[in-house]
Amino acid sequence: MTDWNTMSDEDFRKEVRAFFENEFPEEYKFLARRMRWHECRDWYRKLSKKGWIAPNWPREHGGMGLTPTKLLIYYEETERAGVGRMPDQGLTMVGPTLIRFGNDAQRTFFLPKIIAGEAIWCQGYSEPNAGSDLASLRTEAVADGDDYVINGSKIWTSMAHDATHIYVLARTDKQAKKKQEGISFFLVDMKTPGITLRTIRNIAGHEEFCQVFFDNVRTPKHNLVGELHKGWTIAKGLLGFERLNIGSPRRPLQAMEKLETLAQARGLLSDPAFVERLTQLQLDLADLGSLYRRFVDKVRRGEALGPDVSMLKVWSMDTYQRLSELLIEAAGEYGAVEGEVAIGDEEIDVLSPFYNSRPGTIYGGSNEIQRNILAKYVLNLPS
Amino acid sequence: MNPTLEQTGAMNEHGMDHGAMLAQSVGDFVQHGADLPRVRALAQTHAEFDAAQWRQLAELGWLGVLVPESCGGLGLGLAEAAIVAEGLGRALTPEPYTAIAVLAARTLEGAAETPLRGELLAGLAAGTRVPVVAWQEQPDDFGGRQIATAALPFEGGFRVSGEKRFVIGAAAADGFVVSALAGRELQLLWIPRDAAGCSTAAQPLADGRSYGSVSLCDVVVPREQVLASGDAARAALDRAIDHAAAVGSAELVGIMKRAHEMSLDYMKTRVQFGKPIGSFQVLQHRAVDLHIQQELADAVLRETVAELDTAPDARVRARAASRAKSRCAEAALVITRAAIQFHGAIGFTEDCDVGLYAKRAMTVSAWLGNGRAHRVRYAALGTDSSGGQA
Repeated sequence: MTDWNTMSDEDFRKEVRAFFENEFPEEYKFLARRMRWHECRDWYRKLSKKGWIAPNWPREHGGMGLTPTKLLIYYEETERAGVGRMPDQGLTMVGPTLIRFGNDAQRTFFLPKIIAGEAIWCQGYSEPNAGSDLASLRTEAVADGDDYVINGSKIWTSMAHDATHIYVLARTDKQAKKKQEGISFFLVDMKTPGITLRTIRNIAGHEEFCQVFFDNVRTPKHNLVGELHKGWTIAKGLLGFERLNIGSPRRPLQAMEKLETLAQARGLLSDPAFVERLTQLQLDLADLGSLYRRFVDKVRRGEALGPDVSMLKVWSMDTYQRLSELLIEAAGEYGAVEGEVAIGDEEIDVLSPFYNSRPGTIYGGSNEIQRNILAKYVLNLPS
Repeated sequence: MNPTLEQTGAMNEHGMDHGAMLAQSVGDFVQHGADLPRVRALAQTHAEFDAAQWRQLAELGWLGVLVPESCGGLGLGLAEAAIVAEGLGRALTPEPYTAIAVLAARTLEGAAETPLRGELLAGLAAGTRVPVVAWQEQPDDFGGRQIATAALPFEGGFRVSGEKRFVIGAAAADGFVVSALAGRELQLLWIPRDAAGCSTAAQPLADGRSYGSVSLCDVVVPREQVLASGDAARAALDRAIDHAAAVGSAELVGIMKRAHEMSLDYMKTRVQFGKPIGSFQVLQHRAVDLHIQQELADAVLRETVAELDTAPDARVRARAASRAKSRCAEAALVITRAAIQFHGAIGFTEDCDVGLYAKRAMTVSAWLGNGRAHRVRYAALGTDSSGGQA
């Protein structure tokens, strides 16, 4: 197996660029929305076969084990080529969580399925009455024979309609003194009887998330991750990976690609006032890269992500939104046009980064919640 | 990614390498704390250069961090110089560490190997000589592209006339490394402070230190005082300025971290409405946003000094230095100004230490290009959005 880390950064970039440019299907390049599973299945498996599906995982589990600098190059080239976002919860969340908190049987069973694209995951965290206050969740799991029986409902579950599996936070001890205690972390097959879905249309008109209902859903006891009642620790660990993932520069990079293309097409680079604002955002994005590599390096050394990773998410999504807003402003009258619009020699969807960046400051813990976390656990400010 | 201290320098008899010893001695120095009464009095005393303090920095080895071992220095890299500068920034030490131990050391390092170069570098490291680079004449002029100082050939050397500005460290200098044009060729010349026709004036700065202005009126520079000429002079100066901008960024990181600590401490103890003000969410979120700026600055700084230590080409080097200075300057300003606000009316008093940090942040961020100037240069050096390390 190739050790990509022994290649020079330049060579690695060239190889990744060539592959993405040539192999990713033209019709899905720079898609305005997330890819559905039937659209990206072949691409997922192609990457898997090449050994490139999990750039962030250790090599022993089928990943590329990339250094932070190479991982970022990989993501940069993904965005440069306009590779769409696939259902990636298994790769970004479940895999790292099982590697850290799961047992050998769970790793042996689930990790190869994620690599192969046989298990597509979604996240059962938020509930209608447990959003920012996630620990007040009420979905319940009760032991019964060899199973746990789950009842309740999860909401804002991205790509649940494409998922084969869901990971669920459920209350297992209603008598616990603190609401964070008595929560457990379960893996559930979406084919299990009792699971029903309702899709929800988002602000851009796309069906990307769902409400998931659990009506006496049975999951075997060996699908409990970590200790019973100790799921909050795992949930927090997973949120660390989620914040690292959301905090990566890849999504703001998408918007920057568009902004630079638009600026060229409209001749804005001769306007010093525009260039000043563009440069500030380029620096904000480049500096996000520096901070990101620092946290990736930590994960690579096997260290746990602490609450400080929240700052990555705040800055990344804040930068993404500011980029999407300058894109609209730079488009002038075209900034009102829905869908792709011809500007100069370019076809640009001006509004999609605006829509796609909106939930980033809400999901995975809103940016305001992240600031509360940072204030309390990193700055140690009083409550 | 960042080279660890263990990768640099040779071991001493205690099994510690120079880099680790350096980190330890900076830690001790910082723990000892800042001599803030002295810093506060600078505006009256003008004692921005204390000979005893300078000797101590020399004895600790800090002045010679970048000086080659063959010239009596430690021969370490910018990563180590940044450790020192951050500590000194934190302690608000007014002595011109970056101007001399980085800007002058790097300029001299790039000069032709003459006895004078060796003498100045060795003296710089030992603290017995204080060479200061007087290169700049116009604001926002990176690399001295706008130089009017003229060097006319004279008996194998030159006669030099011109006016240099923004010279940090001039107050203590025993001589200047002056840039001048002989025709279209850049010359770097050594001019002793007491040379006939050389005079200096001090322009007071917000933090009690001063910029020196150096006036040169037909100063005779003999051949043996020519340090570098032409492309070599240009390359030495450009590199030295980028390196000094990066290490100046480390000073700013030290300044901002201490100032933000003071804000956080105050927010934990100051009680209003029956609660510590740090419990109010509006202040918490503001403090968090500033902390994020601080951590961005720190991350960029570490990557930049590590990258500069790999001796990249001039464009990559300049872009990296500008990225660091831009972020660190802006972050230091916004954090120190917020520190005044967090402290309320007391923050506006002369007695309150945060004002000292705010003023030092202003002078260090203005010197060698402020955030705006470095953004402009970053843009002019080309665009890519590849996370800074393409």
